[in-house]
Amino acid sequence: MSAKPKTTPAFTLSTMSLVLIPVVVGINYIGKLFAQTLKLPLWLDSIGTILAAFLNGPIVGAIAGLINNLIYGLTVDTMSFVYAITSVAIGLVSGVVGINYIGRGVLPMLGIGLLVGIAAALVSTPLNVIFWGGQTGNVWGDALFAALRKGGFPLWGASFLDEFVVDIPDKVATVIVAWLIFKGLPKRLTRLFRRGASA
Amino acid sequence: MRTISLYVEKESFIHGLDPVTKLWLTASLLIIPFIVGNIESTLVCLGINLALLSVARVIRRIFSILAMSLVLIITLFIIQGMFYGGNRTEAFALGSLVFYREGLRYATLLTLRFFNIISASMVLILTTRPSDLIESLVRRGLSPRIGYVLASVLQIIPMMISNTSTIMDAQRSRGMETEGRLVTRMKAYLPLMAPLVMSSLVATQERAMALEVRAFGARNPKTFLHEEIISRHALPIRVLTSLGLVAAVIWRVIL
Amino acid sequence: MKPEVMVQDLSYRYDDGEEKALDGVSFEVYPGEFLGVVGPNKAGKSTLCQALVGLVPHFFHGNMDGRVVAGGIDTRETTVDELSKTVGLVFQNPFTQVTGAKLTVYEEIAFGLENIGLPRDEITRRVDEMIALFGLEHVRHHNPFELSGGQMQRMAIASIMALRPRIVALDEPTSQLDPQGSAEVFQAVAALRNQGLTVIMAEQKVEKIARYADRVLLMHKGKVAACDRPEVVFSRDNLLDLGIRPPAYTSVARELDLRRPDGTLPVTLDDAVALLRNSSVNS
Ligand SMILES: Nc1ncnc2c1ncn2[C@@H]1O[C@H](COP(=O)(O)OP(=O)(O)OP(=O)(O)O)[C@@H](O)[C@H]1O
Ligand SMILES: [Mg+2]
Repeated sequence: MSAKPKTTPAFTLSTMSLVLIPVVVGINYIGKLFAQTLKLPLWLDSIGTILAAFLNGPIVGAIAGLINNLIYGLTVDTMSFVYAITSVAIGLVSGVVGINYIGRGVLPMLGIGLLVGIAAALVSTPLNVIFWGGQTGNVWGDALFAALRKGGFPLWGASFLDEFVVDIPDKVATVIVAWLIFKGLPKRLTRLFRRGASA
Repeated sequence: MRTISLYVEKESFIHGLDPVTKLWLTASLLIIPFIVGNIESTLVCLGINLALLSVARVIRRIFSILAMSLVLIITLFIIQGMFYGGNRTEAFALGSLVFYREGLRYATLLTLRFFNIISASMVLILTTRPSDLIESLVRRGLSPRIGYVLASVLQIIPMMISNTSTIMDAQRSRGMETEGRLVTRMKAYLPLMAPLVMSSLVATQERAMALEVRAFGARNPKTFLHEEIISRHALPIRVLTSLGLVAAVIWRVIL
Repeated sequence: MKPEVMVQDLSYRYDDGEEKALDGVSFEVYPGEFLGVVGPNKAGKSTLCQALVGLVPHFFHGNMDGRVVAGGIDTRETTVDELSKTVGLVFQNPFTQVTGAKLTVYEEIAFGLENIGLPRDEITRRVDEMIALFGLEHVRHHNPFELSGGQMQRMAIASIMALRPRIVALDEPTSQLDPQGSAEVFQAVAALRNQGLTVIMAEQKVEKIARYADRVLLMHKGKVAACDRPEVVFSRDNLLDLGIRPPAYTSVARELDLRRPDGTLPVTLDDAVALLRNSSVNS
């Protein structure tokens, strides 16, 4: 091999990662769309973000989450810009934990779902407080919020629980779906993503 | 095939500005109320934004967008009016439900801020073709690789969405039930998702290779097919918005 | 004459591959030559095409031995983007080759040229030329995804050709197209030939290969089973054992024992008809 000048930035995204991101953002979209069509009581709008994290690690997961919300904010719902950091957190957490547990059956996935749910609620709470005085806009969560506040519960705690009760079932289901999809992919494809992450 | 976007194609002064100037404008008008922190500054910015939107002849769009958030805003007034932490002074009571001035005032601030965020963003979004915005950012140092991702998201989503109805019909005709009990509907979810998700993921390999053989990995500075046109109003507008930002910071620090 | 493509004892195993996808492959292609590559599924045709443009080993990593020299450049010692100015590759699926980031056919063809950093006027000059060469005038402002399969594949070829490579490899470019689209692509391939390019084309449609190719490389299980003029390769009587069938005209000629003066069987329609005319005149 001849020596050639190579400028290697600290972190470059491989081309595989770059083509993966639009697809997973699309998966987020249609995941949500099918959940709405079937009138499921869940959002299921971050399957793609978590899948990106499983396939390609936390950084790609985080970038996928960020881009998802930027694009969503630009095209559908402006407030989604603000919640970009929640999506980033989802990608980061599922990537950091997921990459080590992805081959170990369904049980660890429940744990990851729980962790992702907690992370999402933690990051969203300050945003909910700043923009909505602590509410989330979800009927069930907000009913709980109102009840807690009426009983004298602190604002931040009530707001966290408001988000949390909605997030937990949703994120557990989301992680399970992402895991099922991951398992269905050909090995030679998943391998290409893994290596790409460090290239 | 369309790209998803809220862009409204029209001729106007605002449409003619380059995307980065508009981004600047939007960001300043969006942030200033947060820096200053009172209702008045929010109202001023909101006023400017609505004026810009009418200059761009897209003001009607914004009302339908705001109308969609009506329920959210009503619950905001109810919950904050009754349970806001700083509630002291009773405003009125409906039976046993007591509403307070402080809470209602706070809900008003939040609502105005929300309106302002939406209208400021719409000044950019409704008047700028997303691909133009992305290209402008790449010209100013955004990695072309990230620019690629952003641009292709905008096309891939409508494509995947347009495939969903085909899949729904195909699966239904094979006897899949998509209505009825919750369990039935949950069972339908994966078979609906799987075909589209799998095929799009599998396609990534060939797409990545196809990009590589078109020099996607080249490290030299990239050039552009289209020429960038910057209107002569861009500079004054950037100066004005910067002054506005500085004024807001000064206000916050001194007062 | 100096060969334009030189493949020397090339072996390659994918990361997780049990067997070698390529096993001691050697051949040469001369400037302006058209080499057809045939072989059954998994013979290694795609892997070979990918090795010509450096995707093997730069994209797939894996384990590569031997050498590939294309247009005087050793693929191992350069990058895929550098090589793109010398060797191009067109893939099977027209749809996955669309970048997805461009809104018109015109912009799509310009994509690679923007990447290599050409000045604006050079980009427009080359794109205009490609649009004319591949008959895409009427769709130049259309969205790339709105094209028919044949148009999309012609756009893919145009996008590669805009980079002005000296060598073009095509990996079964018509396998996903209907007969109409397939015919369009073969017309485009004929245009490449007329441009004096060196063309390497993997293809299942042996009749087409027989018609276009100067020589045929027959692959089987990662090895070169034969590399010779189409008449010679398709006249072999163990073709079916190697997983491919000869052109229909060749099979018919074999039944009629209709041979060319050198003892080989005809492989194209014209060839077979001429021989048949001759033999009926003689008898
Ligand atoms: N990404 C990959 N990872 C591991 N093995 C691979 C990969 N791609 C191909 N192979 C293997 O390499 C061998 C050669 O495959 P290749 O795709 O080159 O054959 P081909 O002649 O193009 O076949 P086809 O007619 O099906 O396109 C096969 O055994 C295949 O399973
Ligand atoms: Mg192949």
